[in-house]
Parts: sequence; C-alpha cells; structure tokens
Amino acid sequence: MRRIKERNLKKQGNRTIGIKVSLKDRSLDVVRYAAYAVSDAAYVFIKPAGKSAVALEFAPKNSAAAKNLPRRFKEELNDEQKRAAIFDSNRDLREFMILKALAYEEIPPAGQQEDSGLTPEQERELDALIAQVESEIKKESSGNKVKDPLGITRTWEEKYGAKTGHKKK
Amino acid sequence: MNTNKVAKEIFLDAGIYSGEAVKLAAFVFSDRADIRIAPGKGVFTVSVSAEDAEHTVGEFLNEVLNQQCRIDLAKKNSKIAGIIVTKALLSAAGEK
Amino acid sequence: MAQKQATKKNKKSQSLLPQALWQKIGANYLLTNDSGHYAWLKEKDFALVTAGKMAEKDPLFAELAAKGFIRNRLDFNDLAAKWKKKNAYLYYGPGLHILVMTLRCGNKCLYCQSAAAGLGAKHTDMPLAVARKSVDLAFNSPNPGITIEFQGGEPLLNWEVLKSTVVYARKKARISGKDLKLALVSNFSLMTAEKAEFLLKHEVSLCTSLDGPKALHDENRVSSAGSSYEDTVKWIKFFQARHDTQVPEYRVFKPSALLTVSRYSLSSHKEIIDEYVGMGLEDIFIRPLAPIGYARRLWGKIGYDAKDFSIFYLKSLDYILKLNQRGVVIREKMASMMLDKIVNFRDPGYLDARCPCGAAIGQLAYNYNGDIYTCDEGRMVGWEGNDLFRIGNVFTDSYKKVITSATTKVCVVSSNLEAQPVCARCAYKPYCGVCPVYNYETQGTLWGNMPANDRCGLFKGIFKALFTLLKNPEKAAILKKWVAK
Repeated sequence: MRRIKERNLKKQGNRTIGIKVSLKDRSLDVVRYAAYAVSDAAYVFIKPAGKSAVALEFAPKNSAAAKNLPRRFKEELNDEQKRAAIFDSNRDLREFMILKALAYEEIPPAGQQEDSGLTPEQERELDALIAQVESEIKKESSGNKVKDPLGITRTWEEKYGAKTGHKKK
Repeated sequence: MNTNKVAKEIFLDAGIYSGEAVKLAAFVFSDRADIRIAPGKGVFTVSVSAEDAEHTVGEFLNEVLNQQCRIDLAKKNSKIAGIIVTKALLSAAGEK
Repeated sequence: MAQKQATKKNKKSQSLLPQALWQKIGANYLLTNDSGHYAWLKEKDFALVTAGKMAEKDPLFAELAAKGFIRNRLDFNDLAAKWKKKNAYLYYGPGLHILVMTLRCGNKCLYCQSAAAGLGAKHTDMPLAVARKSVDLAFNSPNPGITIEFQGGEPLLNWEVLKSTVVYARKKARISGKDLKLALVSNFSLMTAEKAEFLLKHEVSLCTSLDGPKALHDENRVSSAGSSYEDTVKWIKFFQARHDTQVPEYRVFKPSALLTVSRYSLSSHKEIIDEYVGMGLEDIFIRPLAPIGYARRLWGKIGYDAKDFSIFYLKSLDYILKLNQRGVVIREKMASMMLDKIVNFRDPGYLDARCPCGAAIGQLAYNYNGDIYTCDEGRMVGWEGNDLFRIGNVFTDSYKKVITSATTKVCVVSSNLEAQPVCARCAYKPYCGVCPVYNYETQGTLWGNMPANDRCGLFKGIFKALFTLLKNPEKAAILKKWVAK
C-alpha cells in the first residue's frame, strides 16, 4: 500500500494543505473520489504533478476540519482503492444477482402443497377435523338453537370484519 | 448593477476535470455567480465572478468534483443504475 | 446460463469478497451487502475477509457465508429473495395519495411547511370536482393498495367536500377491488362528535401533531384560539377510548401523533417523550424539520443543523430504550422503519428512505386546485413560487402522463443511490434514500452533494446509532421487538 508522501504536506493552521499522490498504482478515479469524500471539510483542487502524479490542495473550511484532514484523506484513498478492486471483480456477478432478484419468484419447497405449507398427511388430518367440526355445528344449529350470548362461536371476521394490515408513513 | 462582485480565475486541467463536469457545475452555480469557461489546450480557464469570490470559487471547485465523481461512477455503474430506474418507472406506469 | 457464468467467474476470482460495503465505526468494521445482510468484524477479520483469506475453519466463516460475504458460498436464491422483499416497492406504483383539502388553517405553526393560508382564503378550498378527479387518478395507480391521506392547512375546514370524498373513495374501492385506507391529518381544532362519528364509521385513521408538553406544543403551534394543545389532547383521548371499545360495525384505529422538532424542542427530549407516554401513545416519530418551502424562509429563527438534531435524536433514543427497559411501551418510528429493513429485510413503506425515493412513483400530492406534485414537499416548493415538482393537473393529464413526466423521471434518476457517488459506496445504502426536493432546496440541484448534505449526515448518524445498539444483546432485544410481527 503506497503511503502518501508526507514531505509534500504543508500545514499552516487552517490554510491550504498540499498532498501529492502517485498514480503509478492508483487510478485518477480513486484519487478524485477520495478527495471528494472529504470535501465536506475542505475545498479541493487537483492539478497534475508531473507525468504520473497529482497534487491536491485542500483549503479547510475551518480549523477543526484541518486537524484530521490528511488522515481522513489517506483512509479514504485506501478504502477507495480496495473498493475499486472489489467492484471491478464483481460487476458482472452483481448485475446477474440484481436481475435475478428482480425476477425472483417464491417457489414452494418440493413435497408440500403450494398453498397450505402442510404435508399431505397433515392436510388429510386437517380436512377430517374440519369436517367433524362442521358436522357438530350443523347438528347444533338445526333444531334447537344454542344460545351464545358471549358470541364465542362467532369468528373475528363476523365480529369485526376482514382484517387488513395498516401501515402509516 | 451589482458593483461588489469580484472575479477570480482558476485553471482546471482537462485531464483531471472533464468538460462535462465543468459545464454542469457552471450550470448549478448559474444563480449564484457569473461563470465563464474558456477551453484551452488541455486546460479550462474558468472565471468566477461573485461577491464572496474566494468562498464561491471553493464551492464551485467542490461542485466540479461532485459532477466529475458522478460521471466516473456512471461509467462503472450505469447498467445496474439503469435496471433499477427502469423497473421502478415501468412498475409505476403499470407495465411489467 | 447466467448462473453458470457466475459460477465460472466465482472459480476464477473466488478469493475476493463479493460486492460488499463497509464503514469503520470505532475499532470495528460494519459490513453490509445489497440484500441487506450485515456483519460486525474486528479489524483483523475485516482484512482477512476483504482479501479473501478467511479460512473455512474460522469461527466466523459460516456466519459470513450464510450472509453472502464469501464469494464461493453465495446462496443466490436467499440473496435474491431478501433483496426483492426489501425492495418490494419497485413492483408497485404510488400507494400514498395526499389530498390537500385546503390551505386555510386557524393555526400559525412556527415551522409550517405547508404554508397555511388565513381562514378567509376560501379560494384555497379544494372543490368537490377536484377531489373526485384526484381520487379517480389515484385509483389508476397499479398499486393494489391505495392510501388517501387528507391534509391541509386544516382539512376539517373543508368538511363537506372531505365527507363526500370519503364516501366516493370507498365506493371506488368497492368497484375496483383495491384495498383502500383513508387517513386524516388534522390539528383537531375543529373536531366535533358528529365529525368524529362519521370518520370512525368510515374507518378513517386519525393523525395529529403533538410537539410535547403544553408550553412547548403551544410555542411551536400557535393558535388563534389561544392553546392548540387542549384540543389535540382532548381528541387523542377520545379516539383512544373509542379504539379501546371496538364495535362490530367498523374498525377503529389507534390515533397517532407526529412530532416536529423545532429549535425550541432541542433541550426537552425527556419532557416530550414523557408527554407521549403520558398520553398512552406507543409510537413517537421524531422528525427533523426540513428547510423546504416556507420553513426555509424562517430557518434562521427555528432551524438547526444536522449535528444538533443528531444529538437530540440520540438522547431521545437512549431515553426511549431506558423506558422500554422499565417496561414502558414506546417505540421511535423512524428507528422502527429502519430496523424493519435491517432486521426483517422488509419494506416498511417509508417513502423518504428508499431507492429510488417515493417522489411520484411512491406517492402523489394533489393540491387544492388539482395540480399534482411529486410529493408534499414538492408541493411546498410550488407554493413558494417554483413549480419544478409539478407533474400535471387532474383535469388535463392522465395518470400515465403524470407518471411518465420528465420531472418524475428526473426525480427517480437523481434519487437512485446507485448513481450517487457517496451513496453507492455507503454501508447504509441497502437501507437508505435521498430526497431530491431536499437536495434542490438546500444545495441547488436534485442530485445534491452528499459530503456536505445535512440530511445525509443525519441519516448516517441514526444508522450508526442503530447498528451500534444492535451489538448490545439487551438493547437489540428491545429494538427487534419493535419490529416483530
């Protein structure tokens, strides 16, 4: 990892800080972004410094910003160098993954019925239970009406209407 | 007529700042300063006229860098960016 | 075919990390990816992972592989499913439709971003014809769920039209089969028992503003009637009581309240939260004031910078968590929405924090005169004389024309985080969003300039706080409970 040439660093309170960066193993894109990333703290100007280097001039916006600027810039430079390599090696993969995500359809696991999420045996058991309950309700409701003052046999939907999710912004 | 404006000249290397970035930044600043761009050989001579020229020049330089970084990113990321925008707009328009 | 190609590439360059984002926080690194998975790593582990040198036998390997941070162990289906769930809004059109029933209002709230007009400005009442056309256009959205939110000024000042529109909208919903939610945002100063019954019967959810204890609330929300606090509290309690005694004929929703933080609020976080708890409100939405529209003019008097708000927010969150530890039910809404993405990979419907933002494609704002805006903030800019965010009119433009307008497209493009230099690299990108209206009002362009963007700084502060809190098991349990469903 190439270190920023510290002998080029000029620091005078919150006046301009000059940093030279070699482009031998860093692209200009990387340097530009690192400079941009610290532009909250300083005004940034970049100019060529020979054939394979650039000189950056940072005019800190205030003295507090000036203190950490060289360290921040160096960290951003290293981070961006790493990011650029990772990004470049993953570009196609990422495009594939996003397209796949956009087209993604939930497929129920094999061996289970699409809608219920139950095994066939569980489905049969449930069907039998429902049939039994329905038959009991039918017996009760035909002939003698069973009193239900507390509404215990009424479903939520019968009591309060169909429930839907409610989200506010 | 505002007589308090001061003009400052800066020289932007065309190898570091693209013409597109400089022009976009000048447009962004069109309501804050008088900006004139004179392209030269490998350099843009930019004149910035504003009341607080020193400060405005600094802000302008940062804006050029902002635009340049957007252009740099678009070169790498435009396909993915386009996929998302397209999906969002098509869905909103009721198309698949 | 694409999957096989990806596998081949995996074999070639499997040593490197798959696409991931990171942020150094303290001595550790927060790692995130497109699908929304995250992991905390010590410096040495971060170095190993990013160099592709983490051994399979490393205790962290299994966790990182399950989360999509090991390139030759990617579970494409899991990652795709989570990405899609978190970005579910990309499949629908605008769900939120804001009808500005009038610009008139009896209050003169200090920060009024809606730029309320005086009570005599009846020309700013939305006519019934406009309201119906607005509802018609809203139902043209392909979104199967439509929320119509009545706002103002004070919407109750245009009561007859509001009533008719409620009935009309419900009828449209029955015919269309769409799921319709109705909401009213009101200061309650004009609420009566009769109006309340109508609103409840038609399942209109109620939302008001509560800025804190009486003195603070009244300082922010100046009323021509003396105190705006009294009415607010009276009707919150009324609607709460009605919620607690449900009737079979219709559902009554819990009333909600919004907090707007002004400069006067910054020293009173405990008092404000205690007020919400005392009122029995379980959610508090700590919203920063934005220098948009009318509020921009007053910023010197009522505004603050991102740092001040962040301090207020973090102190509030800390206090809210302490209350939770004591068994008090109180959740912070912004945190809840962000946590829903982080913890559940779910789209919480927060239009301000999504990519692209909700301008036009997530919400539409219909002004009293039928002009349609990308969002309510865009409408506020319009009120100040700049119609950049106006995308049509209900009488002259179809839904399609509105949604394919140049302004809609440019809002979508400029709020796409993949095209924003800072956002595209940010660890919080999977959970965040930018606001083109905010960028335009504060920085002069829809794109903005993120290193110097206060809203960005604010959001980063909140995310940093939430992720740090999630490292603490006790606090994580509380936060996860907020979003458990």
